Amino acid sequence: MSLPSGDVVVTGAGTRPRLEGAAPPVALPAPAAERLPRVERLSQLALEAAADALAQAGLGTPAASRDRTGVVLGTAFGCFLTNAAHAGRLCERGPQGVSPRLFAATVSNAAAGEVAIAFGLAGPGVTLTAGAASGLVALGHAADLLAAGRAEAVLAGGLDATGETLAAWVAAGGLDAGRPLAEAAALLVLESRATARERGAPVRAGLLGHAAGFAGDLDAPRAADVLDHVAARACERAGLAPEALDVVVRAAPPAYTAMETGVLRSRAPKASRVLSPKDMLGETLGAAGPLGLLMALQDAPAGALVLVLDVCPSGHVAALVARAGDAT
Amino acid sequence: MTRTSAPAAVVTGCGVISPYGRGVEALWRGLVGGHSAARPITRFRADDLTPNVAAEVTEPLPDDADRAGVFALDAARQALADAGLGAAPPDAGVVLGTTLGGMEIFETWVGEARDDLGHVPYFAPAARVARTLGCAGPVVTPQLACASGTHALAMAADLVRRGAADVVLAGGTDLLCRFVVAGFNALRATAPSAHPFDRDRSGLILGEGAAVVVIESAAYAAARGARVRARLAGMGAAADATHMTAPDREGGGAARAMAAALADAGITPAAVDFVSAHGTGTVYNDAMEARALVRVFGPGGVAVNSIKGAVGHMLGAAGALEAVLCIEVMARGLIPPTIGLREVDPACGALDLVRDAPRPQDTRVALSTSSGFAGANAALLFTTP
Repeated sequence: MSLPSGDVVVTGAGTRPRLEGAAPPVALPAPAAERLPRVERLSQLALEAAADALAQAGLGTPAASRDRTGVVLGTAFGCFLTNAAHAGRLCERGPQGVSPRLFAATVSNAAAGEVAIAFGLAGPGVTLTAGAASGLVALGHAADLLAAGRAEAVLAGGLDATGETLAAWVAAGGLDAGRPLAEAAALLVLESRATARERGAPVRAGLLGHAAGFAGDLDAPRAADVLDHVAARACERAGLAPEALDVVVRAAPPAYTAMETGVLRSRAPKASRVLSPKDMLGETLGAAGPLGLLMALQDAPAGALVLVLDVCPSGHVAALVARAGDAT
Repeated sequence: MTRTSAPAAVVTGCGVISPYGRGVEALWRGLVGGHSAARPITRFRADDLTPNVAAEVTEPLPDDADRAGVFALDAARQALADAGLGAAPPDAGVVLGTTLGGMEIFETWVGEARDDLGHVPYFAPAARVARTLGCAGPVVTPQLACASGTHALAMAADLVRRGAADVVLAGGTDLLCRFVVAGFNALRATAPSAHPFDRDRSGLILGEGAAVVVIESAAYAAARGARVRARLAGMGAAADATHMTAPDREGGGAARAMAAALADAGITPAAVDFVSAHGTGTVYNDAMEARALVRVFGPGGVAVNSIKGAVGHMLGAAGALEAVLCIEVMARGLIPPTIGLREVDPACGALDLVRDAPRPQDTRVALSTSSGFAGANAALLFTTP
């Protein structure tokens, strides 16, 4: 049932904040531009990143029928801030003081819904969470949808919004990511190589393999085995030997850097570049994996092979292998 | 894009915590018994909630603040036992939908340091199940609002089909708390009792619980001599892309999700014997769904029921519970009635609704459809082994 390895390609990308050297931001279609100031934060990030990604892929103009284009968003905390606002109103003003509009925006898939409406993307609409590994899991699920023929193109990636209540929850013992949280969104347009060719869309990269797993307690010895297994599975699906990998993008919390280094030493022994975007940007949660992939692709020569890891203190881990440029 | 036949995904075990109690048998007895599980809320303060009726789980459970996690863990253990698995295989995956997760912990949190805050995020119930049962495979929480549990089974089947895991625990879990009851009340989506597809329906009742199934590749099940309960033969998902809270009046997304599930399985609409409808009992949902069902199956083309007048709308668990319903209907040759339905709305008159009493019917192909906020739709198609 699978497409041949490497047959899922990236034809567009958009991020918030914008990466250095990225194309100028693209204006949203009129109804979405009007809605933008009123929607919750996650939806704002998604709409802006989606506009850039779809425009770059040549899918920016809302079409009458995009029944075969899906949306897959990964997010660690979804509408956490909206949940906090709704819960706060309920606590302060009681049930009679609750806002229906606010409550309706507490669903984590609000951002996917806004994007689907704004651009008429009526294929499979999926939001998922796997903690800070959500972004790569979303790219993987999107690739699976394409491979199974459930969509022709998918806008996919990760995002998270940050704010006071999320920071307070982290500080109170919610999740120790080891780095300050940072708001970001990174969305890609994925499609089959055949569809991209047909449309004459430029291919920026090929997704070759992905895998996900659960390492449980990252302090346990088994955690390294699980991360190693996940990285190995992604390479295996890509049909690549460890020696072939040129670039790695790391993601583990600082306390687990040694574990991650051990895995990378055996899974990508010849990698000449190691990126650690979180050391520069902070913990970008659901956006981390797709953002790391885009940063690695930015100045990688065509044909370079990239291994991206996602590691969450919750135990969720994921890996993805991509090839820069249009090489087949 | 050409597709060849993928390895089949099969269901080998089911586990349920529902407002009727613990286990599939309790659920079945309740559904065929004809009485709704809805009653005034007792577990938390509800005197200021209007309406204050819901389908609560009254089964005694461990004293644990993470109620959604407890539901899920119990249902997962039942499912493993039902599948003849003493323990989850070490590389098993967990795909578990939820729309609230640890919300009750969050809504009572006033900023102080607490040791149960790790249960708050939506990814926490799946992580708890995986950690407790020792699963190291993919662990994902689909977030399709009220279609979360439905798409969980679809994701699990795709994981099995592409060889990412041999066994996946899949389902959904959700709990009742003030956050959600007050919210649905503010949307005027709730009513004191639910009457799916009824002329005088005026809203839904909320419910809580969990449903988890064991999904594995047919080859893995055969190799270990497992009893196959059903094949998960097809799945589909589609977005309305029309409105954030109201469904597409024409049922476009729901119809496309169902059509996609049929196409995925290579099964014609005429071959489907039973549809478990989303059937919330709200004015718009049921009218939308009637149009979508008629569009896919034709007038009176298939037996339809809704169990949301019985167990309430279990949100992220609803689609998973209705998947278990489909499997039981096929196994027992009996379709539970649509509890709460008194006089069929003429707008839903083209549906063959199962009502008043259980209907004996040989059922080999069953479809479950779900729709949620933000225009999410998902459908699953099951066949007998």
